[in-house]
Amino acid sequence: MPETILEARNLTKVYGQNTIFKNINLKVKEGEAIVVIGPSGTGKSTLLRCMNLLTRADGGQILLDGEDITAKGYNEDKVRQHIGMVFQNFLLFNHLTALDNVMIGLTRVKKMPREQAVKKAMEELRRVGLLDRADHYPGQLSGGQQQRVAIARALAMDPRVMLFDEPTSALDPELIGEVLGVMEKLARDRMTMLVVTHEMGFAREVADRIVFMEKGSIVEEGSPDDLFYHPKNDRTREFLWKITELYGKKEKDKGGAA
Amino acid sequence: MFSNFVSYIIQGTAITVAVTLVALPFGLVIGLLMALLHTYGGKAINRLAAAYSLLMRGVPPIVLLFILYFILSGEINLSPFWAGSLSLGIVSSAYQMEILRGALLAVGGGQMTAARAVGMSRLQAIRYIVLPQALRIAIPPWSNEASIVLKDSSLVYALGVPEILRRAQQLSATTQQPFLAFGTAALIYFVLVFATNRGLDYLSERTKLPTHP
Amino acid sequence: MKRILVVVSLLVVASLVLTACGGAPKAANHLEAIKQAGVIKVGTSADYPPFESVDANGNKVGFDIELMTEIAKRLGVKLEWVDMPFDSLIAAVQEGKIDASISAFNYSEERDQTIDFSDAYYTSEDAFTVADGFAGTIAKPEDVAAYKVGVQTGTTQDTWLTDLVNAGTLPEANLFRYDRADQAMADLKNGRIEVVMSDKVPAEALAKQLGGLKIAYSGVLSSGPMNIVIPNGDVELQKAINEIIKQLQDEGFIDQLAVKYFAE
Repeated sequence: MPETILEARNLTKVYGQNTIFKNINLKVKEGEAIVVIGPSGTGKSTLLRCMNLLTRADGGQILLDGEDITAKGYNEDKVRQHIGMVFQNFLLFNHLTALDNVMIGLTRVKKMPREQAVKKAMEELRRVGLLDRADHYPGQLSGGQQQRVAIARALAMDPRVMLFDEPTSALDPELIGEVLGVMEKLARDRMTMLVVTHEMGFAREVADRIVFMEKGSIVEEGSPDDLFYHPKNDRTREFLWKITELYGKKEKDKGGAA
Repeated sequence: MFSNFVSYIIQGTAITVAVTLVALPFGLVIGLLMALLHTYGGKAINRLAAAYSLLMRGVPPIVLLFILYFILSGEINLSPFWAGSLSLGIVSSAYQMEILRGALLAVGGGQMTAARAVGMSRLQAIRYIVLPQALRIAIPPWSNEASIVLKDSSLVYALGVPEILRRAQQLSATTQQPFLAFGTAALIYFVLVFATNRGLDYLSERTKLPTHP
Repeated sequence: MKRILVVVSLLVVASLVLTACGGAPKAANHLEAIKQAGVIKVGTSADYPPFESVDANGNKVGFDIELMTEIAKRLGVKLEWVDMPFDSLIAAVQEGKIDASISAFNYSEERDQTIDFSDAYYTSEDAFTVADGFAGTIAKPEDVAAYKVGVQTGTTQDTWLTDLVNAGTLPEANLFRYDRADQAMADLKNGRIEVVMSDKVPAEALAKQLGGLKIAYSGVLSSGPMNIVIPNGDVELQKAINEIIKQLQDEGFIDQLAVKYFAE
């Protein structure tokens, strides 16, 4: 039985009068790739941000390797070193080259000597296929390349788990593939991953488990086969039908335009 | 005799530059501190910083100058040069604060979030990620503020600091040639402001981040 | 952050050091303190020739400058000039930024509330100069409003005449302003104007120099006696300066200065 790396217990988030999500329970086990799907505005991204304490949950607990990181006085900067995060809009540091983007966490947070940090950062850039772009600034990179650098930046910290917040939804369709490719490779290497995405193909191929979230709660979870071909819940079925229809149409439009 | 007079005014230039070189950096340090407190501080600190900005921008520099030199003279016996330079610096700090606040906003919260996500503390994120970008953005408006401080430095004449304007006044009185005296002063100010703006333009160009080739 | 703190504390330290340097040693009274320090700091606004101005080399020159230099010499202390715009001088004396101020100050009750004055060291009289063939009469100063009057721009006489204009007695069109007093006198001689108002000493000198001109009326009108400004209630310094002024008057020193500065 693989051990649980990251766990949410009865997690609740409220903004003013709005409950974003309520009593979420979720376990991410070592080497597991979990994909969270669900309609927009259903709290998936907020859930992800709560998991590495970028946003504070209002109730419940989060455990990293069995330790309650939501406990009072816990060093949250330390926590985030162990939880990599990739954002929808990349959020590379605009004033730094690709190499420095990957390196800065190593030198400034981990206090790694520069030479060692350069070596490590170059390794990570190779891993995402961007060794030849090391000295490029974000402004000189395509969206797909930027997102791959962002993945390398998170990986460089040797995190226990990687969180992906809709990593491809800000990309032009022709650039999505290269990012999903990198993520697929990570999953094959048994990186522990929690991914929020609308890429159903990716979910089907790569996920060990799929979680369907709607209106702030988990409706259903299971293997891709179970969820895609034998959904137990009507809402799951409806959502999957809608999204395949929508995405199929978009693909067709793109094909027509090109 | 005229060439002597002109060189007398030009000697005041060193003092004008010195006043500016005290006031601007002093204003930058306080302004930066206030901008950071306003942007990243809690509610109470935020209000305090906002009040500081409002107050200091609401007081004419000359009034602050007199307050610091004459009224607070019992507590702190500042020389006219320091009283004048620091007052101008304090007034400028409020404007520099607003410039830097705008720059911090322009950098955006995303950069802070991303920096925190790799495990940086807030201070680290500000120092290594947000500030390097904000300062770049701030250079053009700051260049404007620098020329304002340079010109406002003439206000220290009121305390008898013998900078360009005070010397021009004296020469105007002696020679009965106000046009020559004040014309020379105006020309020197123009050259100083022009050089400052050009220098900062160059800095801005040099630190510009590359985009698509 | 640390660096910011360092810079701020450096500035604070710097200002404290400056403060320490500026502090005067404790003494029984202000005069004693000045004598102990061996220096008297005197404020002036060096933009008012011939009383105080700067020459081509930036040195302070003028009637007040030379007078004060002599006073300091007789007090047995060195003189340190502090130049300041006229408007700032009284506040500077009041706040102890300077020990005294000489800058062609006229006594006024309003000023006397916050600072003290020495005895008058010089009284500036005004004169109305006319051509020898002048047909009118100036029995009292206000009579001048009936004529075309010339004056040097920015002088106390200019202010006095402008008050007449504002009061409506002297038509604006009849007030002629000149850059220099001798230009006004030249125009008076040419008959373009009928009266020139100026300081009495230079008026006498110019009338003699140009010829055909005479003084129709003189008196203390636009300014009056000039005094040195000293801190409020500072009786010791006041007494010391008054004694020296008396000596200088008795010795004819001040009259010589007046001739030197006002008669050319």
